[in-house]
Amino acid sequence: MPETTPVIHGPVAPAPPVGVLAGWAVSRRRSGAALTLSDHSLLAKAAVKAPWQGALADVLAVPFAGTLRRTAASTELLLTQPGPGEWLVLAPPGEQTALVTWLERCAADVDELVSVLDVTHGLCLVRLTGAAAPDLLAKECALDLSERRCPDRTALRTAVSRVAADIIRDDRDGNRSYLLACERSSGQYLFDSLLDAGAEYGVEVTGFEPPGVTEQTARAD
Amino acid sequence: MSMRLGPRVGEVIDRDEPLSFTWNGRTYPGYAGDTIASALAACGVRVFSRSFKYHRPRGLLTASHLDPGCMVQVDDEPNVRGAHRRVRPGMDVRSQDTWPTLSFDVKAANELARRMLPAGFYYKTFMSPGWLWPAYERVLERFAHGGVVGPGKVSALDGNERYDKRHAHPDVLVAGGGPAGMAAAVTAARSGCSVMLVEEELELGGHLRWGDDVDLTALSELRGRVAATPGIEVLTDAVVLGRYDGNEISVLQRGLPHVAERLVKARARTLVAAPGLIERPYVFAGNDVPGVMLSTAVRRLVNLHAVKPGDRAVVLTANADGDATALDLERAGVEVTRVDARRGGDVTRALGRGRVRAVELGDGRRVECDLLVTATGWTSAVSLLTMAGDQPRYDDTAARFRPDASRLPSDVMATGGVVGDGSCAQLVAHGEATGREAARRSAQSSVTASAAPPPLPVEPHPALFRGRTHGMVDFSEDVSSKDLFTAVEEGFRCPELAKRYTTATMGPAQGKLESVNVVAIIAEATGAAIAETGTTTWRPPYAPVSLGALAGRLREPTRLSPLASWHHSHGAAPLVAGAWIRPDHYGDPVAEAASVRDGVGIIDVTPIGKIDLRGPDVSRLLNLVYVNKWSKLEVGRVRYGVMCGEDGVVIDDGVTGRLAEDRYLMSTTSSGAVTVWEWLESWLQTERPQWRVHATPVTTSYASINVAGPRSRDLLARVVDDVDVAPEAFPYMHVRTGRLAGVPGCVVWRIGFTGELSFELHVPAGYGLHVWERLLEAGRDLGVRPFGVEAQRILRLEKGHLIVGQDTDATTKAYGAALDGLVKLDKDDFVGRPELSWGGQPGDGQRLVGLRMSPDSLVPAEGSQLLDHRGLICGRVTSSRLSPALGRAVCLAQVEAALAEPGRQVTVRLVDGGTARAAVTEQLAQVDPEGVRLRA
Repeated sequence: MPETTPVIHGPVAPAPPVGVLAGWAVSRRRSGAALTLSDHSLLAKAAVKAPWQGALADVLAVPFAGTLRRTAASTELLLTQPGPGEWLVLAPPGEQTALVTWLERCAADVDELVSVLDVTHGLCLVRLTGAAAPDLLAKECALDLSERRCPDRTALRTAVSRVAADIIRDDRDGNRSYLLACERSSGQYLFDSLLDAGAEYGVEVTGFEPPGVTEQTARAD
Repeated sequence: MSMRLGPRVGEVIDRDEPLSFTWNGRTYPGYAGDTIASALAACGVRVFSRSFKYHRPRGLLTASHLDPGCMVQVDDEPNVRGAHRRVRPGMDVRSQDTWPTLSFDVKAANELARRMLPAGFYYKTFMSPGWLWPAYERVLERFAHGGVVGPGKVSALDGNERYDKRHAHPDVLVAGGGPAGMAAAVTAARSGCSVMLVEEELELGGHLRWGDDVDLTALSELRGRVAATPGIEVLTDAVVLGRYDGNEISVLQRGLPHVAERLVKARARTLVAAPGLIERPYVFAGNDVPGVMLSTAVRRLVNLHAVKPGDRAVVLTANADGDATALDLERAGVEVTRVDARRGGDVTRALGRGRVRAVELGDGRRVECDLLVTATGWTSAVSLLTMAGDQPRYDDTAARFRPDASRLPSDVMATGGVVGDGSCAQLVAHGEATGREAARRSAQSSVTASAAPPPLPVEPHPALFRGRTHGMVDFSEDVSSKDLFTAVEEGFRCPELAKRYTTATMGPAQGKLESVNVVAIIAEATGAAIAETGTTTWRPPYAPVSLGALAGRLREPTRLSPLASWHHSHGAAPLVAGAWIRPDHYGDPVAEAASVRDGVGIIDVTPIGKIDLRGPDVSRLLNLVYVNKWSKLEVGRVRYGVMCGEDGVVIDDGVTGRLAEDRYLMSTTSSGAVTVWEWLESWLQTERPQWRVHATPVTTSYASINVAGPRSRDLLARVVDDVDVAPEAFPYMHVRTGRLAGVPGCVVWRIGFTGELSFELHVPAGYGLHVWERLLEAGRDLGVRPFGVEAQRILRLEKGHLIVGQDTDATTKAYGAALDGLVKLDKDDFVGRPELSWGGQPGDGQRLVGLRMSPDSLVPAEGSQLLDHRGLICGRVTSSRLSPALGRAVCLAQVEAALAEPGRQVTVRLVDGGTARAAVTEQLAQVDPEGVRLRA
């Protein structure tokens, strides 16, 4: 039987036009709206569990309910700790093997129980960017997302649109931006709910722009 | 006849923007800024509705949101407050619940039977005979107002777009946008607080809006300060519905451009209640005749909307606002007769029906007029404060209840008219001091020392509640002072009881207009003082709220498999299973089942719960939560397990495979995935924290596909890259990991729920569609076809596999689920062991059995009762289908243990009322009971 290169399908149906990036079917749409929503599920994702305030926590050096950017395994990573002793680590698309390998190497250096799981396929990840992002989220989430309570580089676990989700404040180019992660099967529902809630703010879908984990939006596709 | 006045200094209408709308089918003019009521009143309309019980004509009373006489239907929306809602071009406004017309309402005949309809008549009249209640109900529905959702022009917003919610977390929430409220908001914001300022009216300003030039100057200055102060979010046309523990405050916001109603769920550090005062009506005969208005209503009409409310007026005044109203009317060209209540003046009766024709005064005089204005006192709007624990006290001097600030929690404060009287400057000063203190309490102010607001003066006011005649007390519910006297005579002497007996204060105004009058009249009837009579209790919501606003947008999470788009595009009938949308079948579930028995089929089983277990103590955990043994499970093996609660009741089942020395993959039922994970975490975190185990849900990390049927091995062999699927290399109840269709990281279990040779593939979710399509492509010559949940249920029932939750219930212990052989009481411990050891001897309670029907093609409905030889209920059918393989019904049932022996006969009570006989079978499995096929 002839082999074909399998295309990876994310949890959110990509808005046309559709292309392929790092093996994933992605939307190539580009929106200039002040408030945009994009599917970032193709980012490499790893879930890590280890004792809170244990040795691995020292190695990862991410504050609880916070985030940290660092370069490791020759790639840029966004580390978050939305739950005590639970980390979600993000890397550019296609880097999951390098990501997991680096984390397992970190785990090997500590004498405690550590779990490293590649959850690239298991989580839906969307990015909401724009000044009105907290207003939109206030319709779908009960948490106080004000600057005082939820500044840039905050990671929280909560419910958004009645779905368990991690909210990661990750501003880009000086604009308010949030990454929202939920389990994959609810991803399309969450995406649609955010679009519905954001209609009054003119939210538009925009496609993924790599690498997706840096502070700056890439200008070239 | 136009009653529109010339331009007024503080008017809110825009004369450059005329518009037209319809009222009961006739076109009327208005201006932008008009309310429905003001536009109609400017055209001479006096009657807007009929009263609730007696269908008496009703006109404007308060000309505000509270007005009980102006509830109308707007387009398809009932119960719109016509004295509050701004009129829009083309609006279709109709009167409610009148027949045939508003001016000639047949239901006004109720008034002729008024003596037959006293207070509490419905408690006495509709008690018996009980069988007539449906007829009573239909009659009451016709006569009782409630509005109708639907008739009229459909509004632009569909049902789901009308409502939504948002959350807010202001430091200070100020309820009331009058002078004190605005001042408090500005001061708190200037102290660094985020402030939400909520005002029920359409604009900020409170009573200043219809005041004189001094008031308007103060209003302009205060509004300017609010606008210029960052950190204040102003919500007009919004009302605070309630205050709950932790200062959770619900606010209903109306009339937004994108949504009709929005429920704001605010969590404020400090609540400042500044609701002001509400003018209360005076009780006398004819006080509900159209043309009898409160002084604030008149000032709103004249000064905000430039409407002349009448030509000849009598003004009964007991305060400065009444005096000012008389001056406003005179300036508008109205002939005014003043009756000063402070000097003993009184009104005993208003004469007229559709409009006021004359007034009888306390001194016996009769004055011809078309407008009677009363300014007889105020009610403190203490609702929010009582929700926070306040118990207002009656103040004889002010003739109103006033809050007791000492009872308020530290995160609730009050300012403005609700606290006391005073000039605008005094109210503003009090508001500023309150805002400053609110900021301090919210810890956002650099001012650390407490600075209690200065007290506001309390001005004396005559105690005017009821005159010498009886009149309407609750205009919303048609409850008169005479009704209250009757209630007291019948023993309902407490306001709380009299309220419920008469329904006074229970209408749309929710007591804000009438509660003090109710208390005063009960006090009069009982001979007690008002202070000792007490009040009714204020509870949320402060204002009526639509159910749609409470519900908000429809947010019902749905879960989709990675293959959902394929199922949809291939005509699958959707099945809602919990939150999952699954393919029930693809058109012919019987043929789908047959293809599995005869060849090979594939089914999307992604919803099966999957939990990744890691750590050196996993086997201890498995031994604890499952009733069977797990210590010797080797790497590469899979075992079936059942979990029980501590009461021995079955809570879930599934298989768990050992993928590596310290790595396992547990499967659960689809509906039990979250419950089981929480169950594991509960044991690990609270009972066995020393065990080194990590449990991580990975249900949606994988697309799960079951390949089932005698040709399933052949099919799998065509897509698997590095796993030997030969029987001896990959036996039943084993697990392998490898590449499928080029996809690495897949897990393959050889298990079977259908009773056929089958393999369960767990593929990284993003590749699910690829593998699914490759299976269909590779197995085309094998006749592979997808099958849905219905075919799977047929197949598993033929095989006698139970479904936890369907073939068991909340009382089914392991023995009752025919799992006797699985329960290992010789284990040291497991969850449910004591209960299963001590109280649940095999044979007790009900047992899961197979049933063979007679006639055997009869398929009883699931849930059908089973009867013993005495006709007593002895069980129920839990699952039933027609078996394509056997050509007869196959059933599972729960039946009393004494009747569970093979061959025992029971009677099945059918849905159509008939009965059928059934016999208990030898085994649960009706197809391949020896398991030869699945071990092939």
